[in-house]
Amino acid sequence: MVGRDPRPRWLQVGRAWLYPRGRRLGGWAFILNRLSGLVLTAYLLLHLTLLSTLAWSPAAYDWFIELMSSRLVLLFDLALAAVLIYHGLNGIRLTLVGLGVGVTRHKEIFWAAMLVGLLLLGYGGYRLWGGM
Amino acid sequence: MKDVPHVIVIGGGGTGVATAYDLALRRLRVTLLERGEITSGATGRHHGLFHSGARYVVKDPASARECIQENRILRRIVPGVIESNGGLFVALTDEDMEYLPRFLAGCESCGIPARQIPPQQALRWEPNLNPAIKAAVEVPDGSFDGWRLAASFLASAQRLGADVRRFHEVVGFRRTNGTVTGVRVQDHLGERRYELGADLVINAAGPWAGRVGRVAGVDVPLTPSPGVLVAVEGRLTTRVINHLATPGDGDILVPLRQLSVIGTTSWYTDDPDHLEVPEEHVELLLRKGAEMVPLLKSAPFKAAWSAARPLLSAEAAAEGGREVSRTFRVFDHAAREGVEGLVSVVGGKAITLRLMAEVTVDVVCSKLGLDLPCRTAETPLLPSYAFRG
Amino acid sequence: MIEMRVFRWKRDQEPRYDHFLLPYGPRTTVLDLLEVIRVDHDPGLVYRHSCHHGACGTCAMRINGVERLACLTCVADLLKEESRVIVEPLNGFPLLGDLVVEMTPFNERLAAVGLPPLRRCELPGEPPEGGAVQLEDCIECGACVSACPVAVTDHHYLGPAALNAIWRAVEEPRGLDVEPLLDMADGEHGCWRCHAVFECSEVCPNQTGPAEAIMRLRQRLFIRRLRQLLRGGDGHGRA
Repeated sequence: MVGRDPRPRWLQVGRAWLYPRGRRLGGWAFILNRLSGLVLTAYLLLHLTLLSTLAWSPAAYDWFIELMSSRLVLLFDLALAAVLIYHGLNGIRLTLVGLGVGVTRHKEIFWAAMLVGLLLLGYGGYRLWGGM
Repeated sequence: MKDVPHVIVIGGGGTGVATAYDLALRRLRVTLLERGEITSGATGRHHGLFHSGARYVVKDPASARECIQENRILRRIVPGVIESNGGLFVALTDEDMEYLPRFLAGCESCGIPARQIPPQQALRWEPNLNPAIKAAVEVPDGSFDGWRLAASFLASAQRLGADVRRFHEVVGFRRTNGTVTGVRVQDHLGERRYELGADLVINAAGPWAGRVGRVAGVDVPLTPSPGVLVAVEGRLTTRVINHLATPGDGDILVPLRQLSVIGTTSWYTDDPDHLEVPEEHVELLLRKGAEMVPLLKSAPFKAAWSAARPLLSAEAAAEGGREVSRTFRVFDHAAREGVEGLVSVVGGKAITLRLMAEVTVDVVCSKLGLDLPCRTAETPLLPSYAFRG
Repeated sequence: MIEMRVFRWKRDQEPRYDHFLLPYGPRTTVLDLLEVIRVDHDPGLVYRHSCHHGACGTCAMRINGVERLACLTCVADLLKEESRVIVEPLNGFPLLGDLVVEMTPFNERLAAVGLPPLRRCELPGEPPEGGAVQLEDCIECGACVSACPVAVTDHHYLGPAALNAIWRAVEEPRGLDVEPLLDMADGEHGCWRCHAVFECSEVCPNQTGPAEAIMRLRQRLFIRRLRQLLRGGDGHGRA
C-alpha cells in the first residue's frame, strides 16, 4: 500500500508553523519567534527606505525627523522595541538550549528571559516618555 | 515452471501472521487479508505474558509443555520483543501452600525449570511484593509486546513475498461445485469490492472464525471468551508475578516497559464485536492484584479493556484427532463437512502462534500434495520496524 | 451524548468530516467510540489500534488538534475543555485512508538507526542474572513527528523519533557503532534542523524527551567539531 495525502500541503505546513491550538509554551515561543522575525524584517526594509529620505534633501530629512518624534510614532517605537527584545532574548534562550544548556528547564529560562525583557522595555519606555 | 499454489489467510492476528510467514517460508504464494490493523482483533490486547507454561502444569500439562517449547523457540527467533526477566509464583494462603507440591511436581514433569526460593529472597528481588507471602517459586516467564511480535512475523513474511493487505475485509466466499475457490473482499481504503482466487483458504480469524465459517457455510466450533485487563502506571515489579493456585481471576501481574497489567476475568459471548468492560471486573482485578502487590491499589489508573479469547468449544476439544494439541485444533472442512478448499484454525494461546502456524501449514501442504518441511523454529525473524505498511 | 467529528477520506474521493452523536460513560475512550462507529454505523471506517492500553503506539492520532493515543484519551476528560471531539490523522505522514497513516517512511528511518530494542534499566529490587532488560520506552507512535513543524514541512528531516533513537544509542550503544549514527545526526537532515519547539516532548505518551535528546546530541556534536577543529583531525572527531 502506498499512501498519498489529499490534505493540501500549504495548509498542513501553515498549521504546523502558525496554528496555536493545543500548543504548549515551547510551541507559542516558536510561533512568536516566527512572527517577530517577520515583523523585524519588514521593519528593517521600511527603516532603510525611510532613511533614504536623507538622500533627497535636508528639508525632506528634517520633515522625516519631525514625524519620527511624534507621540504616535514613539509608541510604535516602543512596540517595535518589545518585538526586538522578545526576538533577541528568546533567541538567546534558543542558543543556550540548542547547545544543550538548560534543556530540561527551557520553560523557566523563557520566563526569566521575559522578565528581563519586561525590565528592559520598562526602562526603554521610561526613557522614551522622558524625551517627550 | 509449475504454478506455485496460492493460499489466502483470513485474519491478521497472531495466528494469521505466523501462518502467512510459514507459508511464505515454504515458498508458497500467500495473501493475508485483515479487516483492520493487524492484531487489532484480540492478539494486540493480550496480557503480554510470555508464558513459561507453569500456570498449566497441574490442570493442563499438554498445554504447559507446548508453552515451554514455544517459549524457547520464540526466544531464539524473535528475542527483540521479549523482556525476559523471569517470573515468580507466590503463595499467599494455606490453600496455596497445599497446591505448592503439586505445582513443583507438575513443573518437573513438564520440563519447566522451576526453583523454589525463600520468601525473604523473593522480597529482596521484588520489594513491592506483599510482605506476607508464604512461598515463592521462580520460573522462566517474561513479558512481550504483542503488536511488535506480530509485526516481526509479518515483516519477515513480506520480505519473502507475502502480500499483506490490511483494511481488506472478507465479505464472502466463491464456491465452485461446493469447493471454496476464492473470497470476496471489501477494500475499505478505496471502497471497492473484488474477488481473489486461491487454491486454499485458511480461516485464521480468531474470535471471528465462527462468523467467517458461517459466511462460508461451514461450522467452526468456537466460543469467544472475553476477559477484562487493567493497566496501571508504573512498573511495580521487574518480573511477572503469578498467584500460586489453580488458575483463576486476577492472578497474573505482567509488567511491560513502565507499566503493569493485571488480569484477567472471563465470560462467554457470541458477539466479539461488542465487548463490555464491567466495572465490577475492574475492581476485582485491582483487589486481587493488590493481594500480591499492594501498591497496585494506589498506582495511577491507565486503561481497562476487554479482549476475546478464541476458545475451542468444549466438544471440539474433547474430540480426538491427528492435530497435536488440545489447546488448538485445525479443522479440515473437507473431512468435516465435505467442503474442499477451506481449513480453519481455532484456539491457542498468544505464545503458541508459531506452532499453530506449523500445524496448519502442514495440513495445507498435505492437502496440496506438497512435501515441504517447516523451518520457522530455526529461522530468526526481522525486526518489527521492517514491516511495510 | 457526545458530538464526534471524524476525518474521512478514501482513494479517489474528497476528504470530509463525518458527524456522529454517541453515548459515552466515565471510562469511555476515543478508541472505544471509533469502535462503536465502525461496528454499529460504518464498517468502512479505518483506523489503527492494537493493545488498547498505550503499549503499542498504533492508535496515535490528532484529537482536538493535539497528538494523542486514542486508547488513553478519556472522552469525559476531553469534555472538561471542549464540547465536542474532533478526530484527525497524524500530520506529516502519507495517508492511506480515514485515520490510517502509512508508517513505512518513519519505520525506515528507525531501521536506518537500527537501535536494538532492549535496554538495560534500573527496576525495583534485585535484577535477574545478567541484568534486567526492558523494551525501549519509545513505542514508535509517530506523535512527535506529527507535532513537529519541521518534520511536517520537510519530509527528509530525520525527525524527533529517529534522533531520539540515535541519542539512546549514544547513551547505551548495546554493541552498535555510534560514530556513523553521530554522522547521521550531524548531517543535512539531522539535529541541526530542529527549531526547539519542544512540542515533540510534550506529546510523547511515554515522556521519552526527544527534544532533550536532540539538544544533547547537538552539544555532543558541537564538542566533537570543536575538538576536530583544535586537533585538525578528520570531520568525524577522530584525530
